[in-house]
Amino acid sequence: MTTAAPPLRVRFPRASTAFNRYGEAPVRLLADIGQMVWFALAAVGQIPFAVRRYPKELLRMVAQMGMGTGAMAVVGGTAAIVGFITLSAGSLVAIQGYATLGNIGVEAFTGFLAALVNVRFVAPVAAGQALAATVGAGATAELGAMRISEEIDALEVMSIRSVAFLASTRVVAGLVVIIPLYGLAITLAFVSQQVTTVFFYGQSAGTYNHYFHTFLRLDDVGWSFAEVILVAVVVMTTHCYYGYTATGGPVGVGEAVGRSMRLSLITIVVVVVLTAMAVYGKNPNFNLTV
Amino acid sequence: MTSSNATVTRLGERIRPGAEVAGGFFRMCMLTGKALAKPFEWREFIWIGWFLMRVSLLPTIAVSIPETVLLIFTLNLLLAEIGAADVSGAGAAIGAVTQLGPIVTVLVVAGAGGTAICADLGARTIREEIDALEVLGIDPIHRLVVPRVVASTIVAVLLNGLVVAVGLGGGYLFSVYLQNVSAGAYLSTLTALTGTPEVVIAFIKAATFGLIAGLVGCYRGLIVRGGSKGLGTAVNETVVLCFIALFAVNAALTTIGVRFGTGR
Repeated sequence: MTTAAPPLRVRFPRASTAFNRYGEAPVRLLADIGQMVWFALAAVGQIPFAVRRYPKELLRMVAQMGMGTGAMAVVGGTAAIVGFITLSAGSLVAIQGYATLGNIGVEAFTGFLAALVNVRFVAPVAAGQALAATVGAGATAELGAMRISEEIDALEVMSIRSVAFLASTRVVAGLVVIIPLYGLAITLAFVSQQVTTVFFYGQSAGTYNHYFHTFLRLDDVGWSFAEVILVAVVVMTTHCYYGYTATGGPVGVGEAVGRSMRLSLITIVVVVVLTAMAVYGKNPNFNLTV
Repeated sequence: MTSSNATVTRLGERIRPGAEVAGGFFRMCMLTGKALAKPFEWREFIWIGWFLMRVSLLPTIAVSIPETVLLIFTLNLLLAEIGAADVSGAGAAIGAVTQLGPIVTVLVVAGAGGTAICADLGARTIREEIDALEVLGIDPIHRLVVPRVVASTIVAVLLNGLVVAVGLGGGYLFSVYLQNVSAGAYLSTLTALTGTPEVVIAFIKAATFGLIAGLVGCYRGLIVRGGSKGLGTAVNETVVLCFIALFAVNAALTTIGVRFGTGR
């Protein structure tokens, strides 16, 4: 029985190659995940070192991410893009919410919906996606280009810790940038909902404000900030990993940006849903009994 | 006079790149529309459709499951709090069909489909394959862009169906087995607020998103300049432009859509 293997491989070369390729897929997947986790741990773990040793690079990264570079600056930089996306997402909630609640005769609760849905998931998810699309994908493109032109190897040769210098500084810069950005984003989402409901649909401002302020909880806003900070760390490490490990010429950089975007689309929602379950699962805290 | 001329020149320099890109995009859209009349490239279309499906199927499923859980979870908590858990089906249906489907389709079409198209076409542009096609007298818009745009539109519509199915099915499993909503109540209220108009609007939205993402991805891929940095930036810009365009279009189409909704 044991001697059957070589003849089989010789007799069906293509089948055995295919078997090897697909049989090894789970192993490769595990190896990839392990590498990614290892990279993420290294990037986060070397943050203190990076802050101490490369403060200049860190400041440059913060400025670059906040203002945006190249074509991003033409459309108004990261802030404008994040703001615009949460603005449309917020007005979407108001449009659909007003119509749907109107169907069952309680459109007065649009303010309640705005306070609840926006803070708990629409704003964190929209801001996270916008961050991944602008800052994250930009980091992948930049790091990928550095890897392809062997600049990262050059850094290592000059005995600069490349993970700390490139990835950790970007993670810290992402954390610094996301806090004012998210403040802007959530404010714009609130404003757009109020404007849509009060000016376009003609609900009385008092009704909207009453329900909005009754059901807006400070704790929720705090948790939503915590969610977004977590999302920022995950997004930045994912995007830096794909850029740092890009292979295969210019084409490889383009593909790395696409792949990193695909993964961070998934991880953002997963982070938000897990946080929501952890925070609101036991006690939903809707503030219904004031 | 001279100072005002200098101001005009400087202003022109500021807005020229943006205007050139916008004009080029418009021109490509027109050429694509015109090229639709020529014989259709079925082989390329099927190949690209399969490619886009392969790239975006897994992200679609992986994004739509947590989004569904998030929506249904919060909704059921809220409904249970006010003693109306029986109408959980109505909420799940309106959420999945009108918002979840289009929004997940937006994210996946822009983040997966658009980037893949841009990376693929951009690589060909950098390797000067597009120039070679033109030298051979083959129109790249007709041969490459049209099949991609059509494939992207059709794949977006199919993905929308998948997301809605995952949303309704996942909502059923989550509500009935984990949050103790009665199965009959879920099913019977499913169509209370959601009917054919909502479904039709959702599919129109998805087709529009696919069309826009395909056009943006193709255009940005065709005008790539400068090596690996250029291609990376191009893919990055595709995502950003698609997100902006698609969120804006979604808000506009939703405003139109709620006018024709059920129960109005």
